[in-house]
Amino acid sequence: MSRYSLSVNGRTHSVDVAPDTPMLWVLRDALGLVGTKYGCGIGECGACTIHLDGTPARACQTDVSTVGRKSVTTIEGLDPAGKHPLQKAWCELDVPQCGYCQAGQLMSAAALLKSKPSPTDADIDRAMGGNLCRCASYFRIRAGIKRAAEIASGHTPAGGGDSK
Amino acid sequence: MTNTPMMDRRQFVKVSALAGGGLLIGTYVRLGELAAAEPSAAAADFAPNAFITISSSGAISIIAPNSEMGQGIKTGLPMIVAEELDVAWEQVTVKQGDLNQAYGRQTSVGSQSTPSNFLPLRRAGATARAVLVQAAAETWGVPAGECTTEGGTVIHAASKRRAKYGELATKAASVTPPANVPLKDPKDFKLLGTRVAGVDNPKIVTGAPLFGIDVQLPGMVYATYTKCPVFGGKVASANIDAVKARPGVRDAFVLEGIEGLPSGVAIVADSTWNAFTATKALQVKWDEGAVVSQNSVEMAKQAEALAASTPAPALPDGAKAVKAVYHYPFLAHATLEPQNCTAVFKNGVMEMWAPSQIPAVAQGLVSKGLGLEPKNIVVHITRLGGGFGRRGSNEFSIEVAAIAKKLEGTPVKLMWPREYDFAHDNYRSNGWHYFTAGVDSAGKVVSLHDAFVKMQGGPGDMTASGFPFNAIPGSAVNSSKLPAGIPTGYWRAPGDNGNTWATQCFIDELAHAAGREPVAFTTDLLNGATSQNGFDAKRMLQVLKLATEKAGWGQQRPRGEGQGFAITRTNGAYVAIVADVAVSRDGALTIKKIVAAVDPGTIINLSAAEAQVQGAILDGISAAWFQKLTIERGAAAQTMLRINDSPRLMEVHFVKSVAPPTGLGEPGLPAAAPAVCNAIFAATGKRIRTLPIASENLKWS
Repeated sequence: MSRYSLSVNGRTHSVDVAPDTPMLWVLRDALGLVGTKYGCGIGECGACTIHLDGTPARACQTDVSTVGRKSVTTIEGLDPAGKHPLQKAWCELDVPQCGYCQAGQLMSAAALLKSKPSPTDADIDRAMGGNLCRCASYFRIRAGIKRAAEIASGHTPAGGGDSK
Repeated sequence: MTNTPMMDRRQFVKVSALAGGGLLIGTYVRLGELAAAEPSAAAADFAPNAFITISSSGAISIIAPNSEMGQGIKTGLPMIVAEELDVAWEQVTVKQGDLNQAYGRQTSVGSQSTPSNFLPLRRAGATARAVLVQAAAETWGVPAGECTTEGGTVIHAASKRRAKYGELATKAASVTPPANVPLKDPKDFKLLGTRVAGVDNPKIVTGAPLFGIDVQLPGMVYATYTKCPVFGGKVASANIDAVKARPGVRDAFVLEGIEGLPSGVAIVADSTWNAFTATKALQVKWDEGAVVSQNSVEMAKQAEALAASTPAPALPDGAKAVKAVYHYPFLAHATLEPQNCTAVFKNGVMEMWAPSQIPAVAQGLVSKGLGLEPKNIVVHITRLGGGFGRRGSNEFSIEVAAIAKKLEGTPVKLMWPREYDFAHDNYRSNGWHYFTAGVDSAGKVVSLHDAFVKMQGGPGDMTASGFPFNAIPGSAVNSSKLPAGIPTGYWRAPGDNGNTWATQCFIDELAHAAGREPVAFTTDLLNGATSQNGFDAKRMLQVLKLATEKAGWGQQRPRGEGQGFAITRTNGAYVAIVADVAVSRDGALTIKKIVAAVDPGTIINLSAAEAQVQGAILDGISAAWFQKLTIERGAAAQTMLRINDSPRLMEVHFVKSVAPPTGLGEPGLPAAAPAVCNAIFAATGKRIRTLPIASENLKWS
């Protein structure tokens, strides 16, 4: 066991865990941040996507001992009030089915929008190809990213479609 | 959870009087005897039945009785209540119900949650509304028949009086409800058929706890349970002491002799990671038992022999024989949330948090295995990170309960590592269809025989009652079974998920063998189909026409591009799917567009209905294109469809209908794969008779 000081969602946390513990389980079990999900444990499904200094990373492949001073952002820290354009778009278009993969989808999509504010379909395929959705909500994920880009640019016509 | 009954004897009489009949009577009679799940209703609240609570402050809460796994049922069932109660959706708070017989059928399989709950929940809502109207009428001294409702308010237009439901709640609680309350005319539905976003979306997008895996309790420990890789095997010995010495391990022990629980090793640790790493260090000597090790090659040989033992009868004179063998593999469910369950055993009560499609089975397994009365097994239903039939079998419930009973007083979360989830699934059975058909000189199918082989056990058997067998006089299906061993179970659209692929591809073969245009050929068959098992050929023809029209069926396409279609009646819904594909010369498949037409009767929530059809279609394509679970151990990882494999275009067209609703979790799936395979044939001339498609060479020149 070793003690680590971690910056997660803007707060400093101290944890005492084995050095090879993946951030996935540090977040979930030690810090109680269960939004980051366990899917495969081998970096194939993307359900555990978090940001390290703003860059998407698979929490199941990130040992706690490698994090150091990097700032960790999880789905709980994307925007706790749910006002991130992606969160708004996801609710407006009713993107989730079972919802289990969506934290990872949102974290990957948030990084995409930061680098490409108006992503094309090809950009979306490239950035989101590592995030599995077992319910295959891919049409609405694609539409949700585009809608979020609109919201972020201040363009807010009624989204049509799935708002209630 | 307390066991305080919500209703006293007087209310029980009242409630049973309001039950309009059918399922509700059974439901509410039991309600009088058992505790209701939400004992929080205050004395002044109006709680006319187990589903609805209206507080005097105006808060309206509706119970979602069934398990949400992405099919939208946590939103859809309360919408049905809200429609008849005549409240605006924004006024409603939805609460997930625990397992409770007061809620009726809490079984989320077979796309049955909506059809089985539709009338009981409408009656629950309508009766509550009638009581509120009566309360207003008595307060105002006017006839109830002169009062109307809108958006949670009772209105007496003549005297311009209005009262919100909350203002009437206390009075309503003392009103004797009328019997046989009329239901709304479907044309007056305001909420049903509209797009309503899932009630849990705000929690999902902010990462709030919802799923079974998210359950956290004070002092909770984390467990794994390791079973024999060979089905039915037992622990002979294990390095328990070495495992106990691993970091963070609290306990490790062998469990056996518990009914319904396969022999195995439980490891309990202070974190999931420590439980997983200790599990990796576990060495077990297994007594693999008498189960013969089966393998895919041997099964194929057995299937061939079994099929040969039920040969097709002689063809009618002059008919041309068309023969083909179709085979589909085992599939794992691969829910993205691996199996898990949380339990604590305290004061003789097992309290559980179960991501289960059939929570009553979880309770039953624990009751039988541990000798606890069902009333002492409290089951909270969590959200499910995918179901697809996997979470009906509930073995995680007895596993965690057995561990929790041993660790009395300590909450335990059981977590299956992903590899256990693949290795200990109840797989979709593999299957073989040996088809023989006769086509006469006029291009008419005069006989059809299917020697069908699957694993013993599990669902998915078939008879000659469905299309196309019901359209070809004298057609027959002979089912044979491979010896049991590999556990099989319900996988989204059981039976149909493989059988529809085989039959709909073979029908396309027959159309070509007969020299007929495939849509015209199927249309002719449908026109001669019998109505066995309620099959309505008119509804099928309608969706076929709608899908082919919307897809621009029949347009000429360059070599390497093609269209295919398939139809299915699954769980009562009628579905036609047209696929547009392109196959490059080097064999790379692109699915360009999917058009679906669906007749599911009344639509509850258009957003969820559309999402379910889209998702089921892609699930069917994903399974057919990529997925194959070989039974040799260790090779269990399945490839799955990703966003970049998804077609860019998909249209879902619903037939407007006031027929009773079907469910929609499954019907979209079965026709997707055959539509794609028939399109691949149109594009390349290559017939896919063995799945997955990815294992086939699609190169053409």
